[in-house]
Amino acid sequence: MSFPPSVSRNFWGRDFDSPIMLASGTSGFGEELLDLQCLAGVGAVVTKAVSFQPRAGNPPPRLLETPFGLLNSIGLANPGVHHVLKHILPVAAGLPCPLLINVAGESVEEFADVVRVLEKSSAHIGYEINVSCPNVADGGAAFGVDPEVVLQVSRGVSRVTNRPFSVKLTPNGGDMVLSAKAAVKGGASAVTVCNTFLGMHMDWKTGKSVIKRKVAGYTSPALLPLVVARVWQVANAVSVPVISSGGVSTGEDVLQLLAAGATMVQVGTRLMRRPFAAAELMDEMKKLAGE
Amino acid sequence: MSTARDFDCQVTYVEQVLPGVVKVAFDCSGISSSAAPGQFVQIEPSADVFPVTRRPITINRLTGSGFELLFDVVGRGTELMARMQPGDIARVLGPLGSGWKIPLQSNCLLIGGGLGAAGFQFLIDSVDSARVLIGASGLERVIPFGACHVVTEDGSVGEKGLVTSLVTEKYLAEADVIAVCGPVAMMEAVWGVIPEKYRGKVQISTESRMGCGWGVCDGCSIPMLEGGYRKCCTEGPVFYGTEIDWKRWKEAGL
Repeated sequence: MSFPPSVSRNFWGRDFDSPIMLASGTSGFGEELLDLQCLAGVGAVVTKAVSFQPRAGNPPPRLLETPFGLLNSIGLANPGVHHVLKHILPVAAGLPCPLLINVAGESVEEFADVVRVLEKSSAHIGYEINVSCPNVADGGAAFGVDPEVVLQVSRGVSRVTNRPFSVKLTPNGGDMVLSAKAAVKGGASAVTVCNTFLGMHMDWKTGKSVIKRKVAGYTSPALLPLVVARVWQVANAVSVPVISSGGVSTGEDVLQLLAAGATMVQVGTRLMRRPFAAAELMDEMKKLAGE
Repeated sequence: MSTARDFDCQVTYVEQVLPGVVKVAFDCSGISSSAAPGQFVQIEPSADVFPVTRRPITINRLTGSGFELLFDVVGRGTELMARMQPGDIARVLGPLGSGWKIPLQSNCLLIGGGLGAAGFQFLIDSVDSARVLIGASGLERVIPFGACHVVTEDGSVGEKGLVTSLVTEKYLAEADVIAVCGPVAMMEAVWGVIPEKYRGKVQISTESRMGCGWGVCDGCSIPMLEGGYRKCCTEGPVFYGTEIDWKRWKEAGL
């Protein structure tokens, strides 16, 4: 790798003018983006999570802004894989950039079941397998905390598709390096590091969490150093590309993550402030490169 | 297809209308030329990275070449907005949301609770006739309108009482559209006193904590009677009262 890193990337055998991917859950299925025409500077879009059955999602409030970040408890709300295949992917196929479908499951088998259905579509180049969700069938801890379970999930997915897939790990327990190695052993063509951090906001007057599901996913620009460290650790331990996820709000943040070993860089919460963040980040990086 | 765009808008005036209640107007024909009553904008309270989301505020009314927001200062975001000065530039995405569903030449009955009546001016300006009923806790929470019926909980303006006491069968029968906006408990109380036969014309302007404001993050869900949720930002913020699952909505404690 050369420094400073180039914003032109090669990922999964494709050339990308931009390293920026829109993170799962922050850009719908991409079709809303067509509406606002905010795809300038976007390398690829990751859809919100798709599960086998429809999921209504968590009761409100689903969001809580804190002074320095955002808690979310969306609950993987989505209309289920069959609806996505029939009604959403035909529209999302019109996106001018590659699409990855984020896949959620409540059991090891569900991930492969969802992917099997999605194989009928040609709208996407690959998948992102979200092993941060709770393994409902086995106690409720996130799949991602146990390398053995990550291996099973990854193997299950690689059996049903020839398309590349990234396993989106969790920073909440377990060793991300071991889980990343397990994902690759199971056939993953990338790993995504590192998803939201477990967070909570207590109403100290009542002793209750404001978010009904108690704990939630926390994102913040202040988490950038935590993400850089994890990307660097994982990138030095695996041979597949690392997609970073978390902490980005400036072009310089993106360059840091690329320098730490990320091949592609996801942007999420920043889109809440700036729907056109990708174009702005690209402009900022070009300015920095010119200095 | 949404007409929303992201604009750099210049602040034209800032005015404190009540204690802790501020009007801020922006010059932006891009938004005012396409906005409808009940729609909102997503505004950046600061150019700094924090706060990490924008603030969704209903358009109170249109001005000559822009729009005016009227809001309660309740937290850091709105505090920053209240400190804006004429000439300042803020990033504003809008207009967003579905707005009130108002037929041509409609007679509206507007029922507002406290600061929930912000936004009514735009609706009043857009319909043939409007009868406005306002309930508030007291003098310092009554948004001034031209002609309206006001009650307050402490009796400092109008009769002492709740807004439900102003709702009469005659008003309900005469209205083509019944528009309600205010705190959830107030709107539920109003819904409770409206007889079944008038409920079909009741529209409710909902509110939620929002992430994006344009339909992608699924953070602003409102519970629906048919089951599941709909997005306050793009499928609302205005819903028919008959669509809302009032029980689950109240449980959300928003």
